[in-house]
Amino acid sequence: MAVIEVDGLRKRYGDTVAVDDVGFGVERGEIFGLIGPNGAGKTTIVECIEGVRRPDAGRVEVLGLDPLRDRAQLRQVLGVQLQHGMLPDKLRVGEALRLYRSFYRDGVDPERLLTDLGLTAKRRTAFDSLSGGQAQRLSIALALVGNPRIAVLDELTTGLDPQARRNIWDLIEQIRDSGVTVLLVTHFMDEAERLCDRIAIVDDGRLVALDTPGGLIARAGTGQRVRFRATEPYDRAALTRLTEVTEVTTRRGETVVSGTGNLLHAVTSELARQGVDATGTRHEQPTLDDAFLAITGRMPERNDEEAER
Amino acid sequence: MTDRRHAVRPGPGAWALLTLTEGKLVARDTAGLIIPLGLPMLIMVMNGLGADRAGIPEFGGLPALDAYVVPLTIAMVVALIGVVNMPSFLAAYRTTGVLRRLSVTPAHPVMVLVAQVLVSLAQSLLGVALALGLARLAFDVSPPRQLLGAVGVFLLMAAAMYAIGMLVAAVSPTTNASVAIGLVAFFALFALGGGFGGRQNLPDWLATAGAYLPYGAGLDVLSACWTGAGPAGGQLAALAATTVLAGGAAARLFRWS
Repeated sequence: MAVIEVDGLRKRYGDTVAVDDVGFGVERGEIFGLIGPNGAGKTTIVECIEGVRRPDAGRVEVLGLDPLRDRAQLRQVLGVQLQHGMLPDKLRVGEALRLYRSFYRDGVDPERLLTDLGLTAKRRTAFDSLSGGQAQRLSIALALVGNPRIAVLDELTTGLDPQARRNIWDLIEQIRDSGVTVLLVTHFMDEAERLCDRIAIVDDGRLVALDTPGGLIARAGTGQRVRFRATEPYDRAALTRLTEVTEVTTRRGETVVSGTGNLLHAVTSELARQGVDATGTRHEQPTLDDAFLAITGRMPERNDEEAER
Repeated sequence: MTDRRHAVRPGPGAWALLTLTEGKLVARDTAGLIIPLGLPMLIMVMNGLGADRAGIPEFGGLPALDAYVVPLTIAMVVALIGVVNMPSFLAAYRTTGVLRRLSVTPAHPVMVLVAQVLVSLAQSLLGVALALGLARLAFDVSPPRQLLGAVGVFLLMAAAMYAIGMLVAAVSPTTNASVAIGLVAFFALFALGGGFGGRQNLPDWLATAGAYLPYGAGLDVLSACWTGAGPAGGQLAALAATTVLAGGAAARLFRWS
């Protein structure tokens, strides 16, 4: 059963069409990813779901509520983590959680959230003294303190170091496992591939694909690759004749075999049969990056230090 | 059917906690408290030390310190807190996304505005209590002859100053801009209201304008309660009109994000 339904959504700002006829449904209990480059319209879509922006056309329903008309009720069941949502500098972690808890009819014990998010030691730390990762965890805690049925998490690992990102990912999976539906907005492919049950790719205001990560990767049609360096000449034609192999290329001494099925096994068996030693053998599965490139025709943005931070 | 809105909007507990939290945040901004609480007292001490305690007939026989300097000091506390300090908090809340964050919770961001006004009022009362305590202990200043009237006009003046402060917060694009606009507004009201010497030194038309702007009007009606002459209706009306006009404009212009 869909907990979020979006149908024929349109929004323009002046002459710029931000969202153009977007429709999708988010199922109960899944992590649904909304991915796309910066400026693709992800945030506008999410803002229409949150009821902070009025669509020009289309229908949005969240848990059977109209986000604009039933704003007050929606706020009680929809937890939101904002990309740039801030707290007053001198507000302390524990105070922020207790304050936000007081806004909700039902909620989670702030002490438990502090423990779950590893913030117990930071209870008396002011917001402006938190590290990026700590601030992000607090921001997630604030999104969950009202015990929501849906959590909207926007660009939640932007600006974090790799370890902090992995910790946050584990946390998101725990949230999903506790029965909360998660709508995850990101422009990081690794994050989406790792976490999402289903992914909608938005590009230039349009929904260009909607599938499981595996489905998107398969649909993109980019196969797997095996790379190796042969220490001596080998029978390349025999390799090409294997049913699993579609293409063999060699560049600067490295052979790249593209193909399908149990490609790695097929290639290594053939090389062993020929009595050829191969070094540096690597097996590359296609990733969401490849799928994104194939579907949108552009490279996903890299997850390095962000200009916006 | 019970009121559905009542069930989904935050209750009195949330309001109380939010106001308490705002109070803590204001108190932690220690540097921001020094000017509105300290400067008025400094001015009173400087005036009080060399003051002639002789009664002046036009002040109903009260010394100028009682009838003029003390009301001036009280008006200054309220004006600094209402026109400079409070807007700087609200502008910071808007520019750093605090209000936007609140807008996706069941708490309407207007709750923060109300909490800030309440906390600012508490600050003003503290500042006035400090100033009056000092005036009483150090210079034996007499209490207002119309005590209830003084409380009433104080609240009216505070409402007018806070309405102007809300307008400053509404039109300020950044926190720094709000401090700048707030200070300019404060000094304009202060100067025209007679803060730098009496209004009689100003050109007539400016003196008249100053008498109906919140600082001059507030100063005069407070002073009139001290001397027992009773506040002028025109100036009370001017304070009320400022509250309504500035408050209304602020409500129209205020942006949440």
